[in-house]
Formats: sequence, C-alpha cells, structure tokens
Amino acid sequence: MRDTTETPMVELKGVKKRFGDLEVLKGIDLRVDRGRIISIIGPSGSGKSTLLRSVNNLEVIDEGTILLDGVQVNRPDLKGLAFERHINHIRQNMGMVFQHFNLFPHLSTLENVTLAPRKLKGMNTSDARELGMDLLERVGLSDKAKAYPSALSGGQKQRVAIARALAMQPKVMLFDEATSALDPELVEEVNQVMKGLAEEHMTMLIVTHEMTFARDVSDWAMFMDGGVVVEENTPEHLFSHPDQERTQNFLRKHLGAQS
Amino acid sequence: MEFDFSPVMEYWPTLLQGVGVTLLIGLAVAVMSVIGGQIVAVITLYTRKMVNWPLRFFIWLFMTTPLLLQLYFLYFGIGEWILIPAIMVGVLGLGFHYMAYNADIFIATIRSVSSGQYEASRSLGFGHLATLFYVVLPQSFNRAMPQLSNNMIIMVKDISVLSAIGIGEMVYVSQYAISVTFRPFEFYITIAVIYYLINLMMEAGQTWIERRASYRS
Repeated sequence: MRDTTETPMVELKGVKKRFGDLEVLKGIDLRVDRGRIISIIGPSGSGKSTLLRSVNNLEVIDEGTILLDGVQVNRPDLKGLAFERHINHIRQNMGMVFQHFNLFPHLSTLENVTLAPRKLKGMNTSDARELGMDLLERVGLSDKAKAYPSALSGGQKQRVAIARALAMQPKVMLFDEATSALDPELVEEVNQVMKGLAEEHMTMLIVTHEMTFARDVSDWAMFMDGGVVVEENTPEHLFSHPDQERTQNFLRKHLGAQS
Repeated sequence: MEFDFSPVMEYWPTLLQGVGVTLLIGLAVAVMSVIGGQIVAVITLYTRKMVNWPLRFFIWLFMTTPLLLQLYFLYFGIGEWILIPAIMVGVLGLGFHYMAYNADIFIATIRSVSSGQYEASRSLGFGHLATLFYVVLPQSFNRAMPQLSNNMIIMVKDISVLSAIGIGEMVYVSQYAISVTFRPFEFYITIAVIYYLINLMMEAGQTWIERRASYRS
C-alpha cells in the first residue's frame, strides 16, 4: 500500500493545458512516490508527452499545481528572472530524456555528460571527468568517451543522453518516448539501462509505446486518452484485465502488433 | 621583352613589409568581424525589433554599398571633422563591412539550431544565456565555418582596396616600388603569386577547420 503521509516525489493536481482552443490536458492528478516507477501509455495526441513535459515546465500549464518533492514547480506568481532562477534550480533536480536524444553535437560524449555538473555545480575538471566516466561505464559506453555524437548509433546516443541526465544526480527521471525513434534492434540496450535504474530505485516517470517494457518495469501504469487519465492500475491489472473499453481497444491494437 | 626580377629582389624587404601589413590587418579584421558578427546576430535575434533596428539598418547599409565608398566616407567624409588614422579606418571599415556579412551568416546558423537543443539544455537547468553560450553559439559557429572561411578568403583580397587610402599593404608597396623601378609586370606577378600562396594556406586551414566542424554540428 502507498504511504500517503510521505511527501510524494512528484505530484500533479488538476493540471490543465491548452494549445489555443485545444485542451490537451483536462485536469490531471498524478502522484509518484519516492523510488516508484510510473508508466504512461496512450495513443499519440492523448496528451501524455505534454504531461511529461509539463512536469519540468517545458510546457507551461494553464491551471493546477505541480510539485517536486514538496516544492511547487509552476509558479504563476514569479515573473521574469525570478522565475528563471526558480525553474533552473528545479530542473537541476529532474533528468529528462527525449525521443530524439538531443545530444550536444559539438561536444564529445564525455563532455555531453560533464557539461552540466561543471557549469552548474562548479565541479572541477577532474571530478567531473571521474563522474562522467562512471556514468558512461554505467550505460556501457566508457570506450566512447572521446567520440562525438555523430559517430554513435541511436541506441548509444540515447544511453549517453541518459548518462547526461543522471550527471546532475536528479531526484526523478522523466523519459519521453525514449525508444520510439530507435531501430527495433537498438531498443533493448536502452531498456536495459532503464531497468538498471529501476533496480537502483530511481524515481521514474516514463511515457512509452513499449507495452511489454512498461509492464515489466513499472509499479504503476496509466492509460491516457483525449487529455484525461482513462484508467490507472498496477501494470499486471492494467495490461491483462483493463476495465475500460478504450484501454482494451488500445491494448488489443498495440499488444497485437508487438507479438 | 625581357623579364628582370632583380628589382623585385632589391625591394623584397619592402614587399615583405607589405605582406606583413596585409596579414596583420587580415587578422585584426577577421577577429573583429567574426566576434562582432556574432554579437550583432545575437542582438538581432534575441531583442525586440524596436531595439535592434539600428543594427539591422547597419547590416543593410554595409551590404548594399561598395567597400571603397565606405572607406572613402570614413576617411575623407568623416575626416572633415575628425581625422581617423588611415590604418584605423582600414581595419574598422573592412571590419564593419565583413561584420555585416558574417552577422548574416550567424543569424541563419543560430536559427538552424533545433529546438531540441534548447530543450535539452534548459532541462539540465541552464538558463537562457547559458544555453546560448554553451550550446547554441558553439553549434552555430561550427555550422557557419564553411561560409565564414569563404568570407575571410575574400576579405584578405579586399585588403588591397585599402591602398586607396594610403595603407602600406602589398599592392600599395608594390605601386611604390614600380614607381621607382618601372617594372610593373614583375612586381604584379610577384604580388599575385604571394596572394596565391596566402590563399593556398587559407584554403588548407579552411579544409582542416571544416573537417573538424562537420562532425561536431
């Protein structure tokens, strides 16, 4: 059972987001406890990516509250530089992994990983190097430390991107369809790294199309459609015996296509 | 017709001085126009139109008028009130001229950096300025390299225009030597060969830089 007295690592209350006339998030509530892994699935356009991006304010929400470890992320009361300082500090505690990796092409693999700790935490070069090599080791790419992103495969790029996000020692990791842009044979190496994080009890919020992976790795699964959470449950229940017809239809299509 | 290169040999130290002046001016103009071009591009892109219109006007002005006219204007036109030393006019004039062209390149390459790069940097906790400094500008610089080095090769040839305001660069000193020795053919050929060699070196540099920059952008 969930311990409701503990401060959740991430909490969303009544989050709403509009793009023009289109309401893409229609009041989302979500709670991620420390060390928990939550997967969000759903058809494209369901709002799941927008939701994830809202958590670190890459999308600015219109209504509701987002909290990271008890600290409010969205702060409509703060303007300009004051908000900039606030959000930069918040974001240092959240790692984000993107569908298209977004590695910095002008930096080597190691420099990609060490840029943030060096510039934001003032870590000295040798400490940063040690941290960077540890992280590259962890994602199995210490031999590529000097390589530039253009010389890496998609799977390797994404593993470096994960290492880069981990370098700031975040409290939570956000994965925005981390394997969707990868060739099928490269998906597994990234999934392995994410499973490794799960075993170390990293708090994770995962938006994914990989149903099997979501079922294996997460503690809690949510199905979103049309800007609302249609159904949420333990992955065993949600993937095997979904209660809602929309969930059933979605899963039939996707699990069918996967096997 | 007989060729006699002995006057060239005789005036070799003078010619070398001209080469030195050309190279020094080239270096100064390159530094000024590249750094300045980047600053102009950033201000143009990141400030409101109301604020940056003087800069856009400046780019437009320098790109739509001939270099020679700009130099004459700075030296003789403004010289009616303040006499700026020729060498300063030369460096500033060429510098502003190529700053405008370089700014144009940087505006395009800064725009070409994808939004994903901004998002990745912001999501790590970097602010707007830090993102610009650590992520956007280095990439835009790498992408600008091929066109920048082209501009710089053209610029070095344009330094010869500065002879019009009496700066002792290569063409100017050869004019002087010719006026004494009456051997224009030999001197012009020599100057052409020296220009060719300078170009050759710059092209080698360009190839090296582009190869480095291509896999980093």
